[in-house]
Amino acid sequence: MPRHARRDGGRPGTVLAAAVFVALVVAGCQASGYVYRWDFFFDSIFRPDSLIIRGVGLTLFIAVISQTVGVILGVFGALGKMAKATPFRIIAGFYVWFFRGTPLLVQIALVYFGLGVTGIYGWPEITPLGAFGKGAVQAGIVALGVNEGAYMSEIVRAGILSIDPGQMEAAKSLGMTFGQSMRRIILPQAARVIVPPLGNEFNNMLKTTSLLVVISVPELYVTFSYKNASGPMTFHPFELFLAAAVWYLLLTTIWGLIQARIERRLAKGTAGSVSAGPSLRERLFRGGRAPADELPAITGGR
Amino acid sequence: MATAPHDLLDAIGGVPRPATDMVVEATDVHKWFGRLHVLKGVSMAVKRQEVVVVIGASGSGKTTFIRCVNHLEKIQQGRISVNGHLIGYREVSGKLVEDREKNIARQRQEIGMVFQRFNLFPHMTALENIMEAPIQVRKTPRDEATTIGRALLERVGLAAKADVYPNQLSGGQQQRVAIARALAMKPALLLFDEPTSALDPEMIGEVLEVMKELAREGMTMIVVTHEMGFAREVADRVLMMDDGQIIEEGTPEHFFTSPTLERTKSFLSKIL
Repeated sequence: MPRHARRDGGRPGTVLAAAVFVALVVAGCQASGYVYRWDFFFDSIFRPDSLIIRGVGLTLFIAVISQTVGVILGVFGALGKMAKATPFRIIAGFYVWFFRGTPLLVQIALVYFGLGVTGIYGWPEITPLGAFGKGAVQAGIVALGVNEGAYMSEIVRAGILSIDPGQMEAAKSLGMTFGQSMRRIILPQAARVIVPPLGNEFNNMLKTTSLLVVISVPELYVTFSYKNASGPMTFHPFELFLAAAVWYLLLTTIWGLIQARIERRLAKGTAGSVSAGPSLRERLFRGGRAPADELPAITGGR
Repeated sequence: MATAPHDLLDAIGGVPRPATDMVVEATDVHKWFGRLHVLKGVSMAVKRQEVVVVIGASGSGKTTFIRCVNHLEKIQQGRISVNGHLIGYREVSGKLVEDREKNIARQRQEIGMVFQRFNLFPHMTALENIMEAPIQVRKTPRDEATTIGRALLERVGLAAKADVYPNQLSGGQQQRVAIARALAMKPALLLFDEPTSALDPEMIGEVLEVMKELAREGMTMIVVTHEMGFAREVADRVLMMDDGQIIEEGTPEHFFTSPTLERTKSFLSKIL
């Protein structure tokens, strides 16, 4: 089942379960000799210093740009995979195969250290951007974006394939070229199908940025990792990483609300033709009783 | 229906003038789907302002044939010309090779097509559906395209539906918008692929009225249909297809009064 199939409902239950869990952890941990500094936890959330602010900003910045790069590459990847000309299919196929078949961590290291040391590309800083222009940040965006593009290729392809072939025929019969038909007729309709899995990809992306620790990008996770290793909060990993988790939850929860809004707006639009029946989204989220084999395959999961 | 269809071609500046007297010329057209031989040497011609109705049982190849006329389907043998130009192919040292996509697209501007299942663009309003190709393909200025679009909608009796999306229209209304969409490109030839087969019976009439009006105004048309009443009223010629070939050809009267072949008689007895 697609990951986004069970997103609605259960919110109060989730919150309650989380509260019980935290209470148990707090109660259970009193036994050991560890001295809790809950002020570190609360300060990191309610009075974040400039390092934390920068970390949150960098995480958001990298996630947004990488996802955008991923969507653009995904459109080209999808078109490449569906192209008539064999070379395009081979290139796109290799791209998706390679980036879905190797660990992202390896790809990040390869892009930054690999390209750097061989002199293929040294990742010079873009000075006016400050921390946002660091070579490692650029490399991180490239690695995340290119990796995401491979997953988005499959999502976009499934979206395009879900559109009635009659749409392309109608566009062609009016004298539109393949490019015009795609841009004006097919992709706008495919977008409706693509948006829900795209939202989940971005949710993943917000969290996946933490892998950039291997190339020392000072994003959210690395910031808390530094604080744990040096300075006044040294070796309070429980409070610090719990605070980091809260920051990630804040980002993903806000995104979840935005995503729900976007999907509601799309649902109100003009989805489907008269006889199309309930949309994919309706079948996934509202009814939830559609047999799995009726759903177009959206294969973005990893 | 609010108003009867009227002055349809007037809305696009008069009858589009095909470049040649022979609008369509098909010679010995063969097509295979894999190993299935679906067109076995179809030859026919359509003159300017002629209305040709193609009938035949399902699987006889009639839909495949008209889809070849605007190169939605490739052919493996023979040739089809529209307006004196080969469709979908060009001749290179005596052999036919598929033409460049851009050239095929340019030729299709002159050939309108109306589909069985309408195929309106669901993310655009009725008016936007009609304006899309003139603006994108013909580079018509937006206000001019709007004027033509509204005029066409008014003349197919749907002036009030300009800003409505296809899923809020009945089948008959959608098909009338689809006809207007095809007309907006000012095509020299209109192809109809079973335009009323997907409609509820009470909506067939309103679509046929528009098609009859087009025929009366001098539009050149090839119509694949089972509507023999329509054929009788406006067709200049009727072609009967069976097993990938045209087996009988004549005026509508010929088919109603004295069809020659047993196959034609038995087919007509089933649909009349």
